[in-house]
Amino acid sequence: MRTEVPGYRDQRGPSHTGANRCNKTGSPVGLAPEPGPPPTEPCCHSRVLTALECCAPCDIVSLSCRYQDFHAFDLSGATRVLEWIGDKGVFVAEYESLKKNEILHLILPLRLSVKENQGLFPERDFKVCHGGFSDTSVFDLKHVPDTRLLVTTGLPGSYLHVWQITEDSDVIQAVSTIAVQEKEDSLWPRVAIFSSTTPGVLHGVRLSSLRVVDLESQKTTYTSGVSDSEELSSLQVLDTNTFAFCCASGRLGLVDIRQKWAPSESVSNGRGSPGAAGGRWCAEVGGKVRSPGPSVAILGSNGQLCLLDPRDLCHPVSSVQCLVSAPSPDPELLRVTWAPGLDNCLAISGFDGTVQVYDTTSWDGMGSQVEPLFTHRGHIFLEGNQTDTTPLVTTHTWHPHKPRTLLSAASDASLHVWDWVDMHASS
Amino acid sequence: MPEIRVTPLGAGQDVGRSCILVSIAGKNVMLDCGMHMGFNDDRRFPDFSYITRNGRLTDFLDCVIISHFHLDHCGALPYFSEMVGYDGPIYMTHPTQAICPILLEDYRKIAVDKKGEANFFTSQMIKDCMKKVVAVHLHQTVQVDDELEIKAYYAGHVLGAAMFQIKVGSESVVYTGDYNMTPDRHLGAAWIDKCRPNLLITESTYATTIRDSKRCRERDFLKKVHEAVERGGKVLIPVFALGRAQELCILLETFWERMNLKAPIYFSTGLTEKANHYYKLFITWTNQKIRKTFVQRNMFEFKHIKAFDRAFADNPGPMVIMPGYCVQGTVGHKILSGQRKLEMEGRQVLEVKMQVEYMSFSAHADAKGIMQLVGQAEPESVLLVHGEAKKMEFLKQKIEQEFRVNCYMPANGETVTLPTSPSIPVGISLGLLKREMAQGLLPDAKKPRLLHGTLIMKDSNFRLVSSEQALKELGLAEHQLRFTCRVHLHDPRKEQETAMRVYSHLKSVLKDHCVQHLPDGSVTVESILIQAAAHSEDPGTKVLLVSWTYQDEELGSYLTSLLKKGLPQASS
Repeated sequence: MRTEVPGYRDQRGPSHTGANRCNKTGSPVGLAPEPGPPPTEPCCHSRVLTALECCAPCDIVSLSCRYQDFHAFDLSGATRVLEWIGDKGVFVAEYESLKKNEILHLILPLRLSVKENQGLFPERDFKVCHGGFSDTSVFDLKHVPDTRLLVTTGLPGSYLHVWQITEDSDVIQAVSTIAVQEKEDSLWPRVAIFSSTTPGVLHGVRLSSLRVVDLESQKTTYTSGVSDSEELSSLQVLDTNTFAFCCASGRLGLVDIRQKWAPSESVSNGRGSPGAAGGRWCAEVGGKVRSPGPSVAILGSNGQLCLLDPRDLCHPVSSVQCLVSAPSPDPELLRVTWAPGLDNCLAISGFDGTVQVYDTTSWDGMGSQVEPLFTHRGHIFLEGNQTDTTPLVTTHTWHPHKPRTLLSAASDASLHVWDWVDMHASS
Repeated sequence: MPEIRVTPLGAGQDVGRSCILVSIAGKNVMLDCGMHMGFNDDRRFPDFSYITRNGRLTDFLDCVIISHFHLDHCGALPYFSEMVGYDGPIYMTHPTQAICPILLEDYRKIAVDKKGEANFFTSQMIKDCMKKVVAVHLHQTVQVDDELEIKAYYAGHVLGAAMFQIKVGSESVVYTGDYNMTPDRHLGAAWIDKCRPNLLITESTYATTIRDSKRCRERDFLKKVHEAVERGGKVLIPVFALGRAQELCILLETFWERMNLKAPIYFSTGLTEKANHYYKLFITWTNQKIRKTFVQRNMFEFKHIKAFDRAFADNPGPMVIMPGYCVQGTVGHKILSGQRKLEMEGRQVLEVKMQVEYMSFSAHADAKGIMQLVGQAEPESVLLVHGEAKKMEFLKQKIEQEFRVNCYMPANGETVTLPTSPSIPVGISLGLLKREMAQGLLPDAKKPRLLHGTLIMKDSNFRLVSSEQALKELGLAEHQLRFTCRVHLHDPRKEQETAMRVYSHLKSVLKDHCVQHLPDGSVTVESILIQAAAHSEDPGTKVLLVSWTYQDEELGSYLTSLLKKGLPQASS
């Protein structure tokens, strides 16, 4: 027998289907759905977020963003590193110059790792699985696959440091160093790992100092052998024999290490090509297996983004202008990443406190302005320190198998894990 | 040998019963007396035989301190005081004193009446135990006896939770109990002053975690509640009445207010009602925001939240959110483990058709919080309880490096001994101090000056006085020691001339000292006297008599060796 709860019927009445007003500001907070099946549009979501906005005046999560999941953490120090180990662990490392910097191996909150019955897992916290201390700042960290070894690089750039995750305790120990040829004062070597039974560390500050050093024997197994002194901004190993490089100028190349130096390269000065616009550039080659099309993305500090086909780097497929209000204040933090689980989807960061996700499917031509599919503004609106300077996103990365989950870190030591809802997808 | 000894009897390296024994300057204090909720037998109690094999606990222990009302910190108290036997004082804060017996009685009821346990403490035992309690206020220095004093600091975490400083003379230990460094909606954050204890004992259950922000947790919770209510469903939140319930009530109340929602919220009568009563009573223990709004409106007087009446019980689409700990064996625990079919009493099988969400709202300090607290208190050493040794090596290194302190992680039953160097206060007499000051030189921290005096130790009292004063007090006369040394010199001239030569020589060499030639022919260097005399048998040899007091020993010896080297040849 149904018992009427006094007062309950009012909630289902007209006052509810009309615009609800926020008790604090009086402004409408969105429309309520008709009573019935749960809404597919998460607009009640936005009302929740607005209500939270009113609950604590300084917490404002942007209304234009829709999240499936959003977790915010505060590290003890900001990181420029987000390197996966498996699909449940991630490394972060501090980069201050005058202190002992922590390197942490974090395990993702259990809630985010399970595939089903998420609701039954209360664990929302990162666990520090291992930790170590570095005397130098760490700007990049690479895990050597199938080993317990890590390689870090930073300033001063005279050495790469090799670390080991110990088995019977939670400490990350320094093991050895790899000397860098041609030490430079303010430049630090980029690093990528050739994983095999005998892993090799590809590193270099400039094209001329590019080399591969065998991790165990410390013998140099490959050198670029050129005198070109162009500064590198990123290195990426593609398979056992090839790697891609991107210079700060925007010059891109794919190199086969079995041959003498003869990379297939992009043209620096062609119309619409990177480098012609000046600024500083970084790139990423996507691991596209399924669909054909451009898999190389190169991002400039002025917000220009070019897509290239690796088979023909001389002719960019498209070139667009991303929605950024100003050039990047620290172009070393520029980052462009392809989504491993979504077709033609990439993310960029390093311009401000946001991470932008773009769908590149219909991009063509040169010079058009594009709008992001989604913008993560959490770092701006959840700043913990309440300082005047807006935080800058230092790095971001995609989850290996959850298609719309990303991790992002900012200069205020915040670390976010977020899963965005694609508003444009058909229901 | 002055030292501090710490032995965890429970919660050395496992989460569960907290019970720590501390020996400081001859005093013995027991910190917390918790019950391990995971065991049904004697393993749930701390092993009290570690304390003393023979002899009464009341004689051995100077006091017991309870940090807060959670059962893993006070659950074994009645067993300890009434069944094992302890009649000394038990210290805790006022809210803890008020709430502890309620929880203990509740627990006893479940254990005995529902589970049918034997050999459990009785209601009367709880009452007798609470009679031994002495309640303390925050920041109030309480003299346990004329040497041992304790002081409670705010710990956040739950109502009435405190961190305690235990002090004997200049040695002190701070025990944190459970604490929280970030304020929540109804409690403030833990705080301690720069008390610089010899040892800080801190819990480290969550030391290896980095906590998700409170806003995200709340957002998730409210989103789920709102979605359920929007589609006409009910939400059941079984939560421990004292603690998180108030936090969630405030959160829901605020949210309902802002969103102008009309759906009713109910809490079950009984414990929750009592709980709200206590929160109103101990309003000073809540956070600043609540205290500020208390004048206009009591935050625990809810507008949208009312007591539940079983008459309201029907509607489709219900959902359950469980933010609390469900004891093993209960229906709640089974549902949280994912069971969808439950066997109830009388063989009736129920299907779990509702949506189940498990969320955690507990308030503990994480890695960052622990570092913050250590930074606030500035201890000489840190001791970690509640964690696993293997997983704490990094934290140990972190603490040791950042604060340059030793970090210990004892297991249950393992004793950690900390040597201390207690400072011994010595009173200096004003006369002595004035005399030293009159020497003219200003005190310089970088250049310690030597001070001569006499240390009198009497009746465990230390005084530094001038020698004269000491002699006077002791009724002794001062003795003077004077040394005389003979130096033979070859010099055929008259004594007066020898003396003159000595004078000229010393005057040129000892430029820093006062060298004088007296009318009677003797030479003085400061207070040292040199006289020349003829050798009784050999006229060509002169004997120098060098004489000095004990105080001038150094200079006297130096002069003697200098003169033994001979005098420079006189110019003609």
